[in-house]
Amino acid sequence: MAAQYRNWIKDGLWALAIAGMAAAVLRFTFGLGASTGLNDTTPWGLWIAFKLCFVALSGGGFTLAAMVYVFHLESFRPILRRAILLALLGYGSFIVSLLFDLGLPWHIYMPIIHWQHHSVMFEIAWCVMLYFTVLTLEFAPVILEHDWFRHPIFQMIYRALHVAVIPLVITGIVLSTLHQSSLGALILIMPHRVHPLWYSPWIPVLFFISAIAAGLMALVLEGFLVERWLGSQVKLDLLERLGKVAAFALALYLALRLGDLWARGTLPAALDGSWQSLLFGAEVLIGGLLPLTLLTSRKIRQTREGLLTSALLIVAGVVSQRMSLSLFTMWRPAPYLPSLAEILIALGVPAAAALIYLFFVENLAVLDEKAPLKIAPARVQLPMTWPFPFAERNSLNGIIAHRSGLAVGIIAVMLAVLPIQTAASGALPLNLVQPARGWRILWIDGNRAKYQVEFAHAEHQERLAKEMGSSEEACQTCHHLNLPQDEATACWQCHRDYLQAVNIFDHTRHQQILGGNAACQECHTVEHTRRSAAACQECHETMSPKEGQAAFNPMAPAYLDAMHGLCQDCHAQQAAAQNRPELALCKTCHSLQENPSELQAAIRNE
Amino acid sequence: MSLALKHVGVLVDVTRCIGCNQCIEACVVENDLGELRHTPQQAPDGLSDRRFAAIVESPQGAYVRKACRHCLQPACVSVCPVGAMYQTPEGVVLYDYAKCMGCRYCMMACPYGIPRYEWGSTAPRVRKCNLCYERLQNGQLPACVEACPEQALLFGERDELLLEARRRLERSPNKYLPVVYGEQELGGTSVLYISPEPLDFLGFHGAPGDQPYPELTWNWLSRTPSVALAMGGLMTGLFWVIGRRMQAEEKRAARNTSSSHEA
Ligand code: SF4
Ligand code: SF4
Ligand code: SF4
Repeated sequence: MAAQYRNWIKDGLWALAIAGMAAAVLRFTFGLGASTGLNDTTPWGLWIAFKLCFVALSGGGFTLAAMVYVFHLESFRPILRRAILLALLGYGSFIVSLLFDLGLPWHIYMPIIHWQHHSVMFEIAWCVMLYFTVLTLEFAPVILEHDWFRHPIFQMIYRALHVAVIPLVITGIVLSTLHQSSLGALILIMPHRVHPLWYSPWIPVLFFISAIAAGLMALVLEGFLVERWLGSQVKLDLLERLGKVAAFALALYLALRLGDLWARGTLPAALDGSWQSLLFGAEVLIGGLLPLTLLTSRKIRQTREGLLTSALLIVAGVVSQRMSLSLFTMWRPAPYLPSLAEILIALGVPAAAALIYLFFVENLAVLDEKAPLKIAPARVQLPMTWPFPFAERNSLNGIIAHRSGLAVGIIAVMLAVLPIQTAASGALPLNLVQPARGWRILWIDGNRAKYQVEFAHAEHQERLAKEMGSSEEACQTCHHLNLPQDEATACWQCHRDYLQAVNIFDHTRHQQILGGNAACQECHTVEHTRRSAAACQECHETMSPKEGQAAFNPMAPAYLDAMHGLCQDCHAQQAAAQNRPELALCKTCHSLQENPSELQAAIRNE
Repeated sequence: MSLALKHVGVLVDVTRCIGCNQCIEACVVENDLGELRHTPQQAPDGLSDRRFAAIVESPQGAYVRKACRHCLQPACVSVCPVGAMYQTPEGVVLYDYAKCMGCRYCMMACPYGIPRYEWGSTAPRVRKCNLCYERLQNGQLPACVEACPEQALLFGERDELLLEARRRLERSPNKYLPVVYGEQELGGTSVLYISPEPLDFLGFHGAPGDQPYPELTWNWLSRTPSVALAMGGLMTGLFWVIGRRMQAEEKRAARNTSSSHEA
């Protein structure tokens, strides 16, 4: 029977995986700041939420191992290998995503050397590491059954693994119990971040139980997917019984979750009509009680549609719980929006895992203990051979060529969308200064924040003139540099950007005045090198910079710094001289007025 | 190397602070923090990878120095999986880049939202006040304390600072709220505040309660060994019991069939 296999799913997965890799290049070349939306108030974001989901959906691995080996429910053995593969890939995704998330991924081994047993994360690190090893050993026999491993050494390992399976499985169960629950315990220390409807001292237990439900239902979903796309028949009665077990776990989970909220008096918050309460309601009703009701009916449970629906709902419910608590409803003072690169990496990792899944399923006896699935050649040939027409479609070259074509497109779009200033780490967007308004009183709001500093310009002018005995000198105190043919050039004309220093040397203008290219050598005395420009004074010897300003500096500091630098020093001096400390306070100038009307009136009346 | 002092701390007298930022400048120089850069990752409070301390304005308009509190039972230390955040015997909370893996759990867990990250770097560090531990070892005051022109910052033994704080509260009860901030919250902090206005806004999201944060996790974590043992025992037991029963069942079935054959 021809398998209903669709190439475009694989193409899509490849594209996602390669796009994720491209995003990963971005992440490692420019750092977390430039490639993600994470920030100082939201140091954990999308990736953590995804990781929690990966592990939750891998809960089927240890549950099924327990059912088959500990409870001797041999009838489940036909889907055991798939459960273990799913868990293996789930944990693989967890570890790989972790490598992107860690600021110093090359220190990932540190928990092995430096023990800190007060940290939940330390425990999780060890458990995940060990459990991944256990899963690998549990899955290894499937690989060793392949023709390549005929050598007696492999046979020996195979037999050893067979003997060791029970201790392995029990170790796996213990490790899973620990870290599934401890992943929840991560948030115990964050009552200041986690929303009260999701925070619970019972969260470790809730995580553990819901992982059983979600993991089993993920297996059910996988069963249906495999049937749909790979044409391997599912054993409906097996899946139905998985549904039954999941229903027990789900019921326990819901009872504990609601009971705990009720006991601590938090349940009323679920009815306050906020969006969080609606999310909570949907999560509990649609992702919990509804599928539970569906599953309790044997008739519904035994139909494909009923089982599929409840599996979808439960997985969605548990995923929603993980994502809500770690992402959506976390309290944060500044907004967090995952960047495109972040999303691509988050999706690319499970896409790569899915490809590995397909690879294993196609080449090893995963679905059926007797033979690897033989997949029929693609029926639909997408016209994607264009960039590399010479490459055979199913050769390794072909795969790389075709998928790279797709990925290049995605990367292009990604680079187009990714704001360049974030890509060039640390660079700031230009933030042009708003000139001050008014005359006798200046009304200063350089960054357009709608908060004005009122500066009594005339008063300063008059007082300084009196003190210095000359109005010209008085002006120069602040107007330290003028544009040609100008006097008292306004601050913003040179300090053009609010936060960044700006170059005030106008190259083009010099070029024009001096007469185009022919005149280059007037300044660039050594041939053609950019570094060779003559110092300003050589032409501008008549220009007299302010005292102490030895050489002309073509860089003007940012507006913010310039203004503060100018005002603060005098204010501090005056505060001391006149014994009026309030003069030196920020509040004196930043009285935080928003468009004060009397000020406006004063300006108009002049 | 430890200090001659037993448990160090800083007392911040909010009524004395004029918001001149001299302490911040001194900190920048001491810790070589460099120019302030405005980045999209920066929080509005002024702390960042290049600023260990900031003068923030309280809701009522007082100037308050915000920096690491050097908690007696620090959340950041308790969550760090590798002990990169650690506490010295004198109660100073320090950071060791050589161990850090950059998981940023410390940033998530700190109830005051203090630690900041070098988002712009490809080998980023967690950054926060270190109470100038090196200066302390040389017998100097923390840079910020030394720089403060108004003596709004006071350095010393935490116990003595507490006494001094109480003395000030007693002498001018009208000037201060009758609390020493940091005496009890989260099991106490080494950096104490006395203030005319509530300082609850210093908490990341509302004022932290009195329960030390590490206890929240330890309640669970201390149980994990028993959970592991129980689970392991239970599974082994079930495996054995169920297996034995099934064998017995099979034997009986076999005997029954054979005996029925004989009959
Ligand atoms: S204030 Fe935050 S960073 Fe400082 S010691 Fe306490 S928990 Fe750690
Ligand atoms: S980021 Fe570094 S210091 Fe902070 S908890 Fe993780 S390993 Fe420890
Ligand atoms: S104690 Fe040192 S590191 Fe901490 S804020 Fe003061 S100057 Fe900065």
